[in-house]
Amino acid sequence: MNKEDNIKFIFLSLSLIIIILVFFFPFFWIITSSFKNPEEIISTSTTIIPRSFTLEHYYKILFNSDFFIYLKNSLIISFSSMIISIILSVSAAYGLHKLKFYGNKFVEYSLLVTYAFPGVILLVPIYLLFAKVNLLNSYFALIIVNVLFATPFAVWMLKAFFKLIPNEIEEAAYIDGASRYIVISRIIVPLAAPGIASVSIFCFIISWTEYLFASILISGDNLKTLPVGLAGIVGQYQIDWGFLLSGAVLASLPVIALFVFIGKYFISGLTEGAVK
Amino acid sequence: MKKNNIEGWLFVSPLVIWISLIILVPIYIAFELSLFNVKIIGTSGKFLGIDNYIKLLGKSNFLNASLNSFYWVIGNAICQTFFAFTIALTINYKFPGKRIMANWIILSFIIPTVVVVVIWKLMLSSSSGVINSVLIDLGILDEATGFFSSPNKAFISLVLINSWRWSPFLALIILSGLNSINREMYDASKVDGANFIQQFLFITFPNLKSVLFVLGLVGTLLSFNIFDIIWLITKGGPSSATTTLPLLIYETAFTKFRISQAATLSIITSFLLLLFSIIFIKFMDPKEDE
Repeated sequence: MNKEDNIKFIFLSLSLIIIILVFFFPFFWIITSSFKNPEEIISTSTTIIPRSFTLEHYYKILFNSDFFIYLKNSLIISFSSMIISIILSVSAAYGLHKLKFYGNKFVEYSLLVTYAFPGVILLVPIYLLFAKVNLLNSYFALIIVNVLFATPFAVWMLKAFFKLIPNEIEEAAYIDGASRYIVISRIIVPLAAPGIASVSIFCFIISWTEYLFASILISGDNLKTLPVGLAGIVGQYQIDWGFLLSGAVLASLPVIALFVFIGKYFISGLTEGAVK
Repeated sequence: MKKNNIEGWLFVSPLVIWISLIILVPIYIAFELSLFNVKIIGTSGKFLGIDNYIKLLGKSNFLNASLNSFYWVIGNAICQTFFAFTIALTINYKFPGKRIMANWIILSFIIPTVVVVVIWKLMLSSSSGVINSVLIDLGILDEATGFFSSPNKAFISLVLINSWRWSPFLALIILSGLNSINREMYDASKVDGANFIQQFLFITFPNLKSVLFVLGLVGTLLSFNIFDIIWLITKGGPSSATTTLPLLIYETAFTKFRISQAATLSIITSFLLLLFSIIFIKFMDPKEDE
Protein backbone atom coordinates (compact mmCIF):
# COMPACT_ATOMS: atom_id res chain seq x y z
CA MET A 1 0.00 0.00 0.00
CA ASN A 2 1.31 3.43 -0.83
CA LYS A 3 0.76 6.59 1.16
CA GLU A 4 -2.35 7.78 -0.67
CA ASP A 5 -4.04 4.41 -0.21
CA ASN A 6 -3.27 4.54 3.49
CA ILE A 7 -4.87 7.94 3.89
CA LYS A 8 -7.89 6.78 1.91
CA PHE A 9 -8.20 3.70 4.09
CA ILE A 10 -8.12 5.72 7.29
CA PHE A 11 -10.71 8.19 5.97
CA LEU A 12 -12.94 5.41 4.74
CA SER A 13 -12.89 3.50 8.05
CA LEU A 14 -13.42 6.67 10.03
CA SER A 15 -16.41 7.81 8.02
CA LEU A 16 -17.84 4.28 8.04
CA ILE A 17 -17.72 4.21 11.82
CA ILE A 18 -19.34 7.63 12.06
CA ILE A 19 -22.06 6.71 9.57
CA ILE A 20 -22.87 3.51 11.43
CA LEU A 21 -22.96 5.37 14.75
CA VAL A 22 -25.13 8.20 13.47
CA PHE A 23 -27.52 6.26 11.28
CA PHE A 24 -27.84 2.87 12.94
CA PHE A 25 -27.23 3.43 16.63
CA PRO A 26 -30.50 5.39 17.15
CA PHE A 27 -32.47 2.35 15.99
CA PHE A 28 -30.55 0.05 18.32
CA TRP A 29 -31.26 2.55 21.08
CA ILE A 30 -35.03 2.84 20.73
CA ILE A 31 -35.52 -0.87 20.14
CA THR A 32 -33.53 -1.86 23.24
CA SER A 33 -35.09 0.96 25.25
CA SER A 34 -38.57 -0.27 24.43
CA PHE A 35 -37.73 -3.42 26.40
CA LYS A 36 -36.26 -1.60 29.41
CA ASN A 37 -38.24 -0.98 32.56
CA PRO A 38 -39.52 2.59 33.01
CA GLU A 39 -36.91 3.52 35.63
CA GLU A 40 -34.05 2.59 33.34
CA ILE A 41 -35.44 4.52 30.35
CA ILE A 42 -35.45 7.79 32.25
CA SER A 43 -32.39 7.12 34.41
CA THR A 44 -29.49 9.54 33.98
CA SER A 45 -26.79 6.90 34.12
CA THR A 46 -27.10 5.25 30.75
CA THR A 47 -25.37 2.05 29.71
CA ILE A 48 -25.16 0.73 26.17
CA ILE A 49 -26.09 -2.80 27.23
CA PRO A 50 -29.61 -2.81 28.74
CA ARG A 51 -29.78 -3.70 32.43
CA SER A 52 -33.41 -4.72 32.53
CA PHE A 53 -35.83 -6.59 30.31
CA THR A 54 -39.58 -6.29 30.29
CA LEU A 55 -42.47 -6.81 27.90
CA GLU A 56 -44.86 -4.63 29.91
CA HIS A 57 -44.86 -1.78 27.38
CA TYR A 58 -45.76 -4.06 24.52
CA TYR A 59 -48.39 -5.75 26.61
CA LYS A 60 -49.87 -2.37 27.48
CA ILE A 61 -49.94 -1.08 23.90
CA LEU A 62 -51.33 -4.28 22.41
CA PHE A 63 -53.99 -5.02 25.00
CA ASN A 64 -54.71 -1.74 26.76
CA SER A 65 -54.79 0.84 23.99
CA ASP A 66 -56.44 1.70 20.68
CA PHE A 67 -53.41 0.37 18.80
CA PHE A 68 -55.34 -2.13 16.69
CA ILE A 69 -57.95 0.45 15.67
CA TYR A 70 -55.22 2.81 14.49
CA LEU A 71 -53.40 -0.05 12.80
CA LYS A 72 -56.54 -1.05 10.92
CA ASN A 73 -57.12 2.55 9.79
CA SER A 74 -53.53 2.98 8.67
CA LEU A 75 -53.61 -0.29 6.76
CA ILE A 76 -56.89 0.47 4.97
CA ILE A 77 -55.81 3.98 4.02
CA SER A 78 -52.31 3.01 2.93
CA PHE A 79 -53.38 0.02 0.84
CA SER A 80 -56.17 1.88 -0.92
CA SER A 81 -53.92 4.87 -1.61
CA MET A 82 -51.26 2.53 -2.93
CA ILE A 83 -53.57 0.72 -5.34
CA ILE A 84 -55.14 3.88 -6.74
CA SER A 85 -51.71 5.52 -7.06
CA ILE A 86 -50.31 2.55 -8.95
CA ILE A 87 -53.16 2.41 -11.45
CA LEU A 88 -53.03 6.14 -12.16
CA SER A 89 -49.26 6.34 -12.36
CA VAL A 90 -48.69 3.24 -14.51
CA SER A 91 -51.09 4.72 -17.03
CA ALA A 92 -49.55 8.18 -16.90
CA ALA A 93 -45.97 6.90 -16.93
CA TYR A 94 -46.70 4.76 -19.98
CA GLY A 95 -48.27 7.72 -21.75
CA LEU A 96 -45.31 9.95 -20.99
CA HIS A 97 -42.78 7.28 -21.84
CA LYS A 98 -44.16 5.90 -25.09
CA LEU A 99 -46.57 8.38 -26.58
CA LYS A 100 -45.05 11.69 -27.51
CA PHE A 101 -47.95 14.09 -27.34
CA TYR A 102 -48.42 17.82 -27.37
CA GLY A 103 -47.59 19.12 -23.91
CA ASN A 104 -45.76 16.05 -22.59
CA LYS A 105 -42.75 18.05 -21.38
CA PHE A 106 -45.06 20.42 -19.57
CA VAL A 107 -46.82 17.53 -17.82
CA GLU A 108 -43.48 16.04 -16.87
CA TYR A 109 -42.11 19.21 -15.29
CA SER A 110 -45.40 19.99 -13.60
CA LEU A 111 -45.30 16.55 -12.00
CA LEU A 112 -41.81 17.19 -10.71
CA VAL A 113 -42.89 20.47 -9.14
CA THR A 114 -46.08 18.89 -7.78
CA TYR A 115 -44.01 16.18 -6.12
CA ALA A 116 -42.46 18.82 -3.97
CA PHE A 117 -45.55 20.98 -3.72
CA PRO A 118 -45.82 22.05 -0.11
CA GLY A 119 -48.78 20.23 1.34
CA VAL A 120 -49.24 22.76 4.07
CA ILE A 121 -50.23 25.41 1.52
CA LEU A 122 -53.16 23.19 0.57
CA LEU A 123 -54.06 22.32 4.12
CA VAL A 124 -56.52 25.12 4.85
CA PRO A 125 -58.29 25.14 1.47
CA ILE A 126 -58.48 21.33 1.29
CA TYR A 127 -59.96 21.31 4.76
CA LEU A 128 -62.61 23.78 3.63
CA LEU A 129 -63.26 21.96 0.37
CA PHE A 130 -63.68 18.61 2.13
CA ALA A 131 -65.91 20.24 4.73
CA LYS A 132 -68.15 21.52 1.92
CA VAL A 133 -68.45 18.15 0.18
CA ASN A 134 -68.75 16.24 3.45
CA LEU A 135 -65.51 14.32 3.15
CA LEU A 136 -64.02 15.24 6.52
CA ASN A 137 -63.61 12.31 8.88
CA SER A 138 -63.50 9.69 6.18
CA TYR A 139 -60.88 7.32 4.85
CA PHE A 140 -61.43 8.75 1.41
CA ALA A 141 -60.27 12.23 2.47
CA LEU A 142 -56.83 10.89 3.33
CA ILE A 143 -56.71 8.58 0.30
CA ILE A 144 -57.31 11.53 -2.05
CA VAL A 145 -54.50 13.49 -0.45
CA ASN A 146 -52.06 10.57 -0.26
CA VAL A 147 -52.52 9.79 -3.94
CA LEU A 148 -51.72 13.41 -4.70
CA PHE A 149 -48.46 13.18 -2.74
CA ALA A 150 -47.37 9.75 -3.98
CA THR A 151 -48.09 9.76 -7.71
CA PRO A 152 -45.76 12.45 -9.08
CA PHE A 153 -42.60 10.68 -7.96
CA ALA A 154 -44.15 7.29 -8.71
CA VAL A 155 -44.58 8.34 -12.35
CA TRP A 156 -40.99 9.55 -12.40
CA MET A 157 -39.75 6.19 -11.09
CA LEU A 158 -41.98 4.09 -13.35
CA LYS A 159 -40.83 5.91 -16.45
CA ALA A 160 -37.27 4.88 -15.66
CA PHE A 161 -38.34 1.25 -15.36
CA PHE A 162 -40.29 1.36 -18.61
CA LYS A 163 -37.19 2.67 -20.37
CA LEU A 164 -35.39 -0.55 -19.49
CA ILE A 165 -37.84 -2.62 -21.54
CA PRO A 166 -36.46 -3.08 -25.06
CA ASN A 167 -38.61 -1.45 -27.68
CA GLU A 168 -38.35 -4.48 -29.99
CA ILE A 169 -40.47 -6.67 -27.73
CA GLU A 170 -43.33 -4.22 -27.97
CA GLU A 171 -42.91 -3.71 -31.72
CA ALA A 172 -42.99 -7.47 -32.27
CA ALA A 173 -46.27 -7.74 -30.36
CA TYR A 174 -47.86 -5.03 -32.49
CA ILE A 175 -46.77 -6.81 -35.66
CA ASP A 176 -48.49 -9.93 -34.33
CA GLY A 177 -51.64 -7.84 -34.08
CA ALA A 178 -51.77 -7.18 -30.34
CA SER A 179 -53.73 -4.16 -29.15
CA ARG A 180 -52.32 -1.45 -26.88
CA TYR A 181 -54.24 -2.92 -23.97
CA ILE A 182 -52.78 -6.40 -24.52
CA VAL A 183 -49.27 -4.99 -24.84
CA ILE A 184 -49.56 -3.13 -21.58
CA SER A 185 -51.18 -5.88 -19.56
CA ARG A 186 -49.20 -8.83 -20.98
CA ILE A 187 -45.82 -7.27 -21.73
CA ILE A 188 -45.16 -3.95 -20.06
CA VAL A 189 -46.62 -4.66 -16.63
CA PRO A 190 -45.06 -8.13 -16.18
CA LEU A 191 -41.66 -6.97 -17.41
CA ALA A 192 -41.72 -3.92 -15.18
CA ALA A 193 -42.98 -5.93 -12.19
CA PRO A 194 -39.94 -5.26 -9.96
CA GLY A 195 -40.30 -1.58 -10.73
CA ILE A 196 -44.01 -1.59 -10.03
CA ALA A 197 -43.32 -3.41 -6.76
CA SER A 198 -40.83 -0.79 -5.66
CA VAL A 199 -43.13 2.05 -6.64
CA SER A 200 -45.86 0.36 -4.64
CA ILE A 201 -43.72 0.39 -1.52
CA PHE A 202 -42.93 4.02 -2.12
CA CYS A 203 -46.65 4.85 -2.31
CA PHE A 204 -47.36 2.74 0.74
CA ILE A 205 -44.65 4.45 2.76
CA ILE A 206 -45.85 7.92 1.78
CA SER A 207 -49.34 7.11 3.06
CA TRP A 208 -48.14 5.16 6.08
CA THR A 209 -46.02 8.02 7.38
CA GLU A 210 -48.33 10.95 6.53
CA TYR A 211 -49.12 12.97 9.62
CA LEU A 212 -50.16 16.55 8.83
CA PHE A 213 -53.35 15.92 6.87
CA ALA A 214 -54.29 12.90 8.97
CA SER A 215 -54.19 15.08 12.06
CA ILE A 216 -56.43 17.79 10.59
CA LEU A 217 -58.86 15.97 8.30
CA ILE A 218 -59.69 13.25 10.82
CA SER A 219 -61.02 14.08 14.24
CA GLY A 220 -62.92 10.95 15.23
CA ASP A 221 -60.91 8.65 17.50
CA ASN A 222 -62.07 5.56 15.64
CA LEU A 223 -60.61 6.81 12.33
CA LYS A 224 -57.19 8.03 13.51
CA THR A 225 -54.03 6.65 11.95
CA LEU A 226 -50.94 5.34 13.77
CA PRO A 227 -48.79 8.48 13.34
CA VAL A 228 -51.60 10.63 14.77
CA GLY A 229 -52.07 8.23 17.65
CA LEU A 230 -48.34 8.29 18.43
CA ALA A 231 -48.16 12.06 18.13
CA GLY A 232 -50.90 12.23 20.74
CA ILE A 233 -48.58 10.50 23.22
CA VAL A 234 -45.61 12.71 22.24
CA GLY A 235 -47.67 15.79 23.00
CA GLN A 236 -48.52 14.76 26.55
CA TYR A 237 -46.89 16.68 29.35
CA GLN A 238 -45.66 13.58 31.14
CA ILE A 239 -44.52 11.24 28.38
CA ASP A 240 -44.88 7.52 29.10
CA TRP A 241 -41.65 6.64 27.32
CA GLY A 242 -41.97 2.87 27.37
CA PHE A 243 -45.45 3.05 25.91
CA LEU A 244 -44.35 5.57 23.27
CA LEU A 245 -41.22 3.62 22.29
CA SER A 246 -43.01 0.31 21.89
CA GLY A 247 -45.63 2.13 19.81
CA ALA A 248 -42.92 3.67 17.64
CA VAL A 249 -41.28 0.29 17.08
CA LEU A 250 -44.60 -1.35 16.21
CA ALA A 251 -45.58 1.48 13.85
CA SER A 252 -42.30 1.08 11.97
CA LEU A 253 -42.53 -2.72 11.67
CA PRO A 254 -44.91 -2.94 8.67
CA VAL A 255 -42.83 -0.68 6.44
CA ILE A 256 -39.65 -2.41 7.53
CA ALA A 257 -41.20 -5.82 6.82
CA LEU A 258 -42.21 -4.69 3.33
CA PHE A 259 -38.75 -3.33 2.84
CA VAL A 260 -37.10 -6.66 3.75
CA PHE A 261 -38.94 -8.34 0.88
CA ILE A 262 -38.66 -5.79 -1.89
CA GLY A 263 -36.16 -3.28 -0.56
CA LYS A 264 -33.61 -4.03 -3.25
CA TYR A 265 -36.01 -3.05 -6.01
CA PHE A 266 -37.19 -0.11 -3.98
CA ILE A 267 -33.70 1.33 -3.79
CA SER A 268 -33.03 0.81 -7.49
CA GLY A 269 -36.40 2.32 -8.31
CA LEU A 270 -35.82 5.41 -6.23
CA THR A 271 -32.38 5.99 -7.59
CA GLU A 272 -33.00 5.12 -11.25
CA GLY A 273 -36.01 7.40 -11.28
CA ALA A 274 -33.98 10.39 -10.27
CA VAL A 275 -31.02 9.75 -12.50
CA LYS A 276 -32.75 9.07 -15.80
CA MET B 1 -41.36 10.74 -33.94
CA LYS B 2 -45.03 10.83 -34.75
CA LYS B 3 -47.32 12.44 -32.26
CA ASN B 4 -50.09 10.55 -30.48
CA ASN B 5 -51.96 13.50 -29.08
CA ILE B 6 -55.27 11.91 -28.25
CA GLU B 7 -53.95 8.60 -27.01
CA GLY B 8 -51.18 10.27 -25.01
CA TRP B 9 -53.56 12.55 -23.20
CA LEU B 10 -55.93 9.66 -22.61
CA PHE B 11 -53.20 7.88 -20.67
CA VAL B 12 -52.11 10.84 -18.58
CA SER B 13 -55.47 12.51 -18.09
CA PRO B 14 -56.78 10.45 -15.13
CA LEU B 15 -53.75 11.43 -13.07
CA VAL B 16 -53.57 14.97 -14.41
CA ILE B 17 -57.24 15.53 -13.62
CA TRP B 18 -56.88 14.07 -10.12
CA ILE B 19 -53.86 16.21 -9.31
CA SER B 20 -55.17 19.42 -10.83
CA LEU B 21 -58.52 19.08 -9.07
CA ILE B 22 -56.88 18.59 -5.71
CA ILE B 23 -54.40 21.42 -6.24
CA LEU B 24 -56.21 24.00 -8.36
CA VAL B 25 -59.62 23.96 -6.67
CA PRO B 26 -58.11 24.46 -3.20
CA ILE B 27 -55.85 27.22 -4.52
CA TYR B 28 -58.88 28.95 -5.99
CA ILE B 29 -60.67 28.62 -2.65
CA ALA B 30 -57.62 29.98 -0.85
CA PHE B 31 -57.44 32.93 -3.22
CA GLU B 32 -61.10 33.73 -2.70
CA LEU B 33 -60.69 33.48 1.07
CA SER B 34 -57.68 35.75 1.02
CA LEU B 35 -59.87 38.59 -0.25
CA PHE B 36 -62.29 38.30 2.67
CA ASN B 37 -62.11 38.53 6.40
CA VAL B 38 -63.03 35.03 7.51
CA LYS B 39 -61.99 33.95 10.99
CA ILE B 40 -63.53 30.69 12.10
CA ILE B 41 -64.05 27.98 9.50
CA GLY B 42 -67.59 27.94 8.16
CA THR B 43 -68.42 31.57 8.93
CA SER B 44 -68.47 34.28 6.30
CA GLY B 45 -66.55 37.50 6.51
CA LYS B 46 -66.68 40.85 4.83
CA PHE B 47 -64.92 41.66 1.58
CA LEU B 48 -61.49 43.22 2.08
CA GLY B 49 -59.89 43.13 -1.37
CA ILE B 50 -56.14 43.08 -1.11
CA ASP B 51 -56.11 44.40 2.46
CA ASN B 52 -54.96 41.04 3.84
CA TYR B 53 -51.95 41.07 1.56
CA ILE B 54 -50.93 44.61 2.46
CA LYS B 55 -51.33 43.98 6.18
CA LEU B 56 -49.49 40.68 6.03
CA LEU B 57 -46.41 41.87 4.20
CA GLY B 58 -45.73 44.40 6.95
CA LYS B 59 -46.28 41.98 9.82
CA SER B 60 -43.27 41.02 11.89
CA ASN B 61 -44.30 37.38 12.33
CA PHE B 62 -44.52 36.96 8.55
CA LEU B 63 -41.05 38.43 8.07
CA ASN B 64 -39.71 36.32 10.92
CA ALA B 65 -41.19 33.12 9.47
CA SER B 66 -39.93 33.92 5.96
CA LEU B 67 -36.44 34.48 7.31
CA ASN B 68 -36.64 31.27 9.35
CA SER B 69 -37.77 29.38 6.24
CA PHE B 70 -34.88 30.84 4.30
CA TYR B 71 -32.34 29.78 6.96
CA TRP B 72 -34.08 26.42 7.23
CA VAL B 73 -33.73 25.68 3.50
CA ILE B 74 -30.12 26.91 3.37
CA GLY B 75 -29.12 25.10 6.57
CA ASN B 76 -30.67 21.85 5.40
CA ALA B 77 -29.12 22.18 1.96
CA ILE B 78 -25.64 22.61 3.43
CA CYS B 79 -25.97 19.82 6.01
CA GLN B 80 -27.65 17.38 3.67
CA THR B 81 -25.22 17.98 0.81
CA PHE B 82 -22.32 17.35 3.18
CA PHE B 83 -23.81 14.23 4.80
CA ALA B 84 -25.16 12.84 1.54
CA PHE B 85 -21.86 13.18 -0.31
CA THR B 86 -19.96 11.71 2.63
CA ILE B 87 -22.27 8.70 2.73
CA ALA B 88 -22.35 8.27 -1.05
CA LEU B 89 -18.57 8.52 -1.49
CA THR B 90 -18.00 6.14 1.43
CA ILE B 91 -20.46 3.51 0.26
CA ASN B 92 -19.03 3.83 -3.25
CA TYR B 93 -15.88 2.00 -2.07
CA LYS B 94 -15.74 -1.77 -1.77
CA PHE B 95 -15.88 -2.99 1.81
CA PRO B 96 -17.42 -6.01 3.54
CA GLY B 97 -21.11 -5.44 4.23
CA LYS B 98 -21.41 -2.74 1.58
CA ARG B 99 -24.59 -4.15 0.05
CA ILE B 100 -26.40 -4.50 3.37
CA MET B 101 -25.41 -1.01 4.35
CA ALA B 102 -26.47 0.46 1.00
CA ASN B 103 -29.90 -1.12 1.44
CA TRP B 104 -30.45 -0.30 5.09
CA ILE B 105 -29.01 3.18 5.33
CA ILE B 106 -32.38 4.41 4.09
CA LEU B 107 -34.12 3.19 7.26
CA SER B 108 -34.37 6.72 8.62
CA PHE B 109 -36.32 7.67 5.51
CA ILE B 110 -38.90 4.88 5.48
CA ILE B 111 -40.06 5.11 9.09
CA PRO B 112 -42.85 7.54 9.98
CA THR B 113 -41.69 11.08 10.83
CA VAL B 114 -43.38 10.70 14.18
CA VAL B 115 -40.97 7.87 14.94
CA VAL B 116 -38.05 10.12 13.96
CA VAL B 117 -39.40 12.61 16.47
CA VAL B 118 -39.67 9.94 19.17
CA ILE B 119 -36.09 8.75 18.54
CA TRP B 120 -34.54 12.19 18.84
CA LYS B 121 -36.73 13.42 21.66
CA LEU B 122 -35.52 10.44 23.67
CA MET B 123 -31.87 10.66 22.65
CA LEU B 124 -31.64 14.44 23.08
CA SER B 125 -33.70 14.66 26.25
CA SER B 126 -32.07 17.01 28.74
CA SER B 127 -32.88 14.89 31.79
CA SER B 128 -32.06 11.38 30.62
CA GLY B 129 -30.90 11.56 27.00
CA VAL B 130 -28.06 9.32 25.93
CA ILE B 131 -26.40 12.11 23.93
CA ASN B 132 -26.14 14.28 27.02
CA SER B 133 -24.64 11.47 29.11
CA VAL B 134 -22.12 10.60 26.40
CA LEU B 135 -21.07 14.24 26.00
CA ILE B 136 -20.66 14.57 29.77
CA ASP B 137 -18.67 11.32 29.99
CA LEU B 138 -16.38 12.53 27.22
CA GLY B 139 -15.87 15.80 29.08
CA ILE B 140 -17.33 17.93 26.29
CA LEU B 141 -20.17 19.16 28.50
CA ASP B 142 -20.09 19.92 32.21
CA GLU B 143 -23.78 19.41 32.76
CA ALA B 144 -26.78 18.27 30.74
CA THR B 145 -27.91 20.83 28.17
CA GLY B 146 -31.38 21.35 26.73
CA PHE B 147 -31.01 20.92 22.99
CA PHE B 148 -34.29 22.70 22.32
CA SER B 149 -34.14 25.31 25.05
CA SER B 150 -32.48 28.25 23.33
CA PRO B 151 -33.50 29.63 19.90
CA ASN B 152 -30.21 28.83 18.18
CA LYS B 153 -29.75 25.40 19.72
CA ALA B 154 -33.31 24.41 18.85
CA PHE B 155 -32.93 25.57 15.26
CA ILE B 156 -29.63 23.76 14.73
CA SER B 157 -30.88 20.58 16.42
CA LEU B 158 -33.92 20.53 14.16
CA VAL B 159 -31.82 21.07 11.03
CA LEU B 160 -29.62 18.15 12.07
CA ILE B 161 -32.57 15.88 12.84
CA ASN B 162 -34.19 16.67 9.51
CA SER B 163 -30.90 16.10 7.71
CA TRP B 164 -30.58 12.78 9.51
CA ARG B 165 -33.88 11.76 7.97
CA TRP B 166 -33.16 12.91 4.43
CA SER B 167 -29.42 12.51 3.81
CA PRO B 168 -29.38 8.73 3.29
CA PHE B 169 -32.09 9.03 0.65
CA LEU B 170 -30.16 11.77 -1.14
CA ALA B 171 -26.97 9.75 -0.77
CA LEU B 172 -28.51 6.81 -2.62
CA ILE B 173 -29.59 9.06 -5.46
CA ILE B 174 -26.10 10.55 -5.67
CA LEU B 175 -24.67 7.03 -5.47
CA SER B 176 -26.60 5.85 -8.50
CA GLY B 177 -25.41 8.97 -10.29
CA LEU B 178 -21.85 8.02 -9.34
CA ASN B 179 -22.35 4.51 -10.67
CA SER B 180 -23.39 5.84 -14.04
CA ILE B 181 -20.06 7.63 -14.44
CA ASN B 182 -17.64 5.80 -16.69
CA ARG B 183 -14.87 4.23 -14.55
CA GLU B 184 -12.31 4.74 -17.31
CA MET B 185 -12.42 8.48 -16.81
CA TYR B 186 -11.02 8.04 -13.32
CA ASP B 187 -8.29 5.69 -14.53
CA ALA B 188 -7.33 8.06 -17.31
CA SER B 189 -7.18 11.01 -14.94
CA LYS B 190 -5.00 8.99 -12.57
CA VAL B 191 -2.51 8.37 -15.37
CA ASP B 192 -2.46 12.12 -15.95
CA GLY B 193 -1.64 12.60 -12.27
CA ALA B 194 -4.95 13.92 -10.93
CA ASN B 195 -5.45 13.60 -7.19
CA PHE B 196 -8.63 12.74 -5.33
CA ILE B 197 -9.87 16.31 -4.99
CA GLN B 198 -9.23 17.12 -8.66
CA GLN B 199 -11.10 13.97 -9.66
CA PHE B 200 -14.04 15.05 -7.55
CA LEU B 201 -14.11 18.58 -8.97
CA PHE B 202 -13.54 17.78 -12.64
CA ILE B 203 -15.09 14.34 -13.14
CA THR B 204 -17.52 13.47 -10.36
CA PHE B 205 -19.19 16.83 -9.92
CA PRO B 206 -19.80 17.74 -13.60
CA ASN B 207 -21.16 14.26 -14.29
CA LEU B 208 -23.66 14.57 -11.50
CA LYS B 209 -25.13 17.76 -12.97
CA SER B 210 -28.50 16.36 -13.97
CA VAL B 211 -28.90 14.50 -10.69
CA LEU B 212 -28.00 17.63 -8.77
CA PHE B 213 -30.50 19.62 -10.80
CA VAL B 214 -33.37 17.40 -9.71
CA LEU B 215 -32.09 17.33 -6.14
CA GLY B 216 -31.66 21.09 -6.07
CA LEU B 217 -35.20 21.74 -7.20
CA VAL B 218 -37.07 18.96 -5.43
CA GLY B 219 -34.86 19.06 -2.36
CA THR B 220 -35.38 22.77 -1.81
CA LEU B 221 -39.14 22.50 -2.12
CA LEU B 222 -39.22 19.40 0.07
CA SER B 223 -37.22 20.92 2.88
CA PHE B 224 -39.28 24.08 2.69
CA ASN B 225 -42.32 21.86 3.15
CA ILE B 226 -41.16 20.18 6.38
CA PHE B 227 -43.80 20.57 9.04
CA ASP B 228 -44.24 17.62 11.36
CA ILE B 229 -40.67 17.30 12.65
CA ILE B 230 -40.63 20.94 13.73
CA TRP B 231 -44.18 21.04 15.02
CA LEU B 232 -43.93 17.87 17.08
CA ILE B 233 -40.62 18.81 18.68
CA THR B 234 -40.68 22.55 19.34
CA LYS B 235 -44.11 23.77 18.20
CA GLY B 236 -42.21 26.61 16.53
CA GLY B 237 -40.58 27.84 19.73
CA PRO B 238 -38.71 28.93 21.73
CA SER B 239 -39.99 32.45 21.04
CA SER B 240 -40.90 31.66 17.40
CA ALA B 241 -37.30 30.83 16.54
CA THR B 242 -38.31 27.69 14.68
CA THR B 243 -41.56 28.97 13.21
CA THR B 244 -41.13 28.56 9.46
CA LEU B 245 -43.82 29.55 6.95
CA PRO B 246 -45.57 26.15 7.01
CA LEU B 247 -45.84 26.37 10.80
CA LEU B 248 -47.08 29.94 10.63
CA ILE B 249 -49.81 28.92 8.18
CA TYR B 250 -50.83 26.04 10.42
CA GLU B 251 -50.86 28.17 13.57
CA THR B 252 -52.77 31.00 11.93
CA ALA B 253 -55.44 28.62 10.70
CA PHE B 254 -55.78 26.04 13.42
CA THR B 255 -54.70 27.63 16.68
CA LYS B 256 -55.55 31.28 16.06
CA PHE B 257 -58.50 30.54 13.75
CA ARG B 258 -57.73 33.31 11.26
CA ILE B 259 -58.69 31.42 8.14
CA SER B 260 -58.43 34.31 5.70
CA GLN B 261 -55.00 35.27 6.94
CA ALA B 262 -53.82 31.67 6.63
CA ALA B 263 -55.19 31.56 3.08
CA THR B 264 -53.37 34.79 2.24
CA LEU B 265 -50.16 33.30 3.61
CA SER B 266 -50.69 30.18 1.49
CA ILE B 267 -51.18 32.22 -1.67
CA ILE B 268 -48.08 34.34 -1.08
CA THR B 269 -46.04 31.25 -0.28
CA SER B 270 -47.18 29.36 -3.39
CA PHE B 271 -46.34 32.37 -5.48
CA LEU B 272 -42.82 32.57 -4.05
CA LEU B 273 -42.22 28.86 -4.57
CA LEU B 274 -43.58 28.92 -8.10
CA LEU B 275 -41.27 31.81 -8.89
CA PHE B 276 -38.34 29.90 -7.43
CA SER B 277 -39.19 26.77 -9.48
CA ILE B 278 -39.52 28.67 -12.74
CA ILE B 279 -36.25 30.50 -12.23
CA PHE B 280 -34.51 27.31 -11.18
CA ILE B 281 -35.74 25.31 -14.20
CA LYS B 282 -34.96 28.18 -16.56
CA PHE B 283 -31.38 28.76 -15.44
CA MET B 284 -30.19 25.49 -13.99
CA ASP B 285 -31.62 22.80 -16.28
CA PRO B 286 -28.45 21.05 -17.49
CA LYS B 287 -30.22 19.73 -20.59
CA GLU B 288 -30.28 23.22 -22.06
CA ASP B 289 -26.50 23.07 -22.58
CA GLU B 290 -26.64 20.18 -25.01
